[in-house]
Amino acid sequence: MAERSAAIVGLGMTELGKVYSRTAAQFAGDAVRLAVADAGLELGDVDGLLTSAGVSGGVGLALQRDLGLRDLRLLSEMQSYGSTAGQMVQYASLAIAAGMAETVACVFADAPLRQDTSTGAAYGARGAVGWRGLLGAAGIRDTNSLYALAAQRHMDTYGTTNDQLGHIAVGQRAWAELNPQAQMRTPMTLEDYHASRWIVEPFHLFDCCLVSNGGIAVIVTSAERAASLARPPVHVLGWGQAHPGHAQRRHEDFGLVSGAARSGPAALAMAGLTVDDVDVAELYDCYTFTVLITLEDYGFCPKGEGGRFVADGTLGPDGKLKVNTGGGQLSSSYMWGMTPLSEAILQARGEAGERQVDRHDVVLVSGNGGVLDHHSTLVLSPHGPAGRSSS
Amino acid sequence: MRVGPVRRDEATAAFFDGTARSERLLFRCPAGHFSPPYAQQCDTCASVDLVSVAAAGGASVVSRSVAHQRGGDRDTLVVAELDEGPWWWSKVIGAEPEQVAAGARLTVAFERADEESEAVPVFRLA
Repeated sequence: MAERSAAIVGLGMTELGKVYSRTAAQFAGDAVRLAVADAGLELGDVDGLLTSAGVSGGVGLALQRDLGLRDLRLLSEMQSYGSTAGQMVQYASLAIAAGMAETVACVFADAPLRQDTSTGAAYGARGAVGWRGLLGAAGIRDTNSLYALAAQRHMDTYGTTNDQLGHIAVGQRAWAELNPQAQMRTPMTLEDYHASRWIVEPFHLFDCCLVSNGGIAVIVTSAERAASLARPPVHVLGWGQAHPGHAQRRHEDFGLVSGAARSGPAALAMAGLTVDDVDVAELYDCYTFTVLITLEDYGFCPKGEGGRFVADGTLGPDGKLKVNTGGGQLSSSYMWGMTPLSEAILQARGEAGERQVDRHDVVLVSGNGGVLDHHSTLVLSPHGPAGRSSS
Repeated sequence: MRVGPVRRDEATAAFFDGTARSERLLFRCPAGHFSPPYAQQCDTCASVDLVSVAAAGGASVVSRSVAHQRGGDRDTLVVAELDEGPWWWSKVIGAEPEQVAAGARLTVAFERADEESEAVPVFRLA
């Protein structure tokens, strides 16, 4: 561990979903103000700011001025897609360990939904020019198609089935029923899953994440300072990143193995833990398939066994492993990596209400970006690093 | 519509000059490795000494998916491995999705949305 360990002490979540009254920049400002207040701090205590914009853009360096933050010692706009949220906490923790900053706000906000337009329009639009235009002209118009090709390869190689992917969607919906903030709380059966329309085979509608407007921010500070603040600290025990740099060529393991296979073990090793120690897993779930491949790559089950693992009573509130306990991006809301991170903080604090799990000493959080191109992992805990004075 | 319209930019000009001649261009380095046409350097050995060559036209299916349009039309999308090694993401035309499985042999074809558009490489079952 680093010399000075870090803890998450504030969480700010705006209203999420079909909220049309705010721009992304306004959601970002709201989220930071909420997170600072949650920590029992003032905006003037913030000396570091890391921002992350979604597809609608508009969240960047100007947020400093929007929030009236003076004399920051750390400020940057970051982008590694869905792995960014976890990475922001990592860089904040490093800055705190180095004494470069004391209190760092990390924020993501997005507002891709517009009133009276489809959710598909929010993520599907691409100009038909150049290489990207060529992909769209050939029928590959959105991320759904790319992940579908990844998932189908896994299915062909390991025998993974739609029924197994359906168990992930159904399990997460059952969690969402317990989450008052979730966008989708209507009970879902496996039959409902199969009956939902095809988007891109092998994905039904219920294999795909929601699209949401809103913002989420977290405040990271030193474990020493965290001890005197308003909320129960959530210690950052370990982290990892992996960016495989897949070449588009023969022998590539696209769809079979993701960056999680390196990032997860690295994060757990830093924390001095193993996958068997994990009580709660909040896994990036842009698609059901992303959960499945991450469970395999983190080592919760052997490679290729993910389908059988999730179909075997593993998921949902009564399941053997507590996964995506707020409903995740599939059923709660889609705030990129902030969706799993925010739920992890609530669970680690013991503040998840009706969906609170009993054992929450070790909470594993994943972020995934691109098409399985970028991965980040955090190991969080209500307990400080073993053997440290802050614990 | 079999393919959508697409316009060239500076980065794709040479490639679309190729598709206009029904050639799907790849890069080849002095060691004989093939790289995709958008590569800055050789995928295998990082050589920047790349020349454009036409792919032979054979490929096989790495993975396939089926995009469902609102009107009920279906598109068979594939990751195809060209016989030279690089992958290419496109669609298969002239076949039902059920006929296209992993490992199926493909041959390259070219389609235009209209007279103004560039020719787009697609695949047919070989």
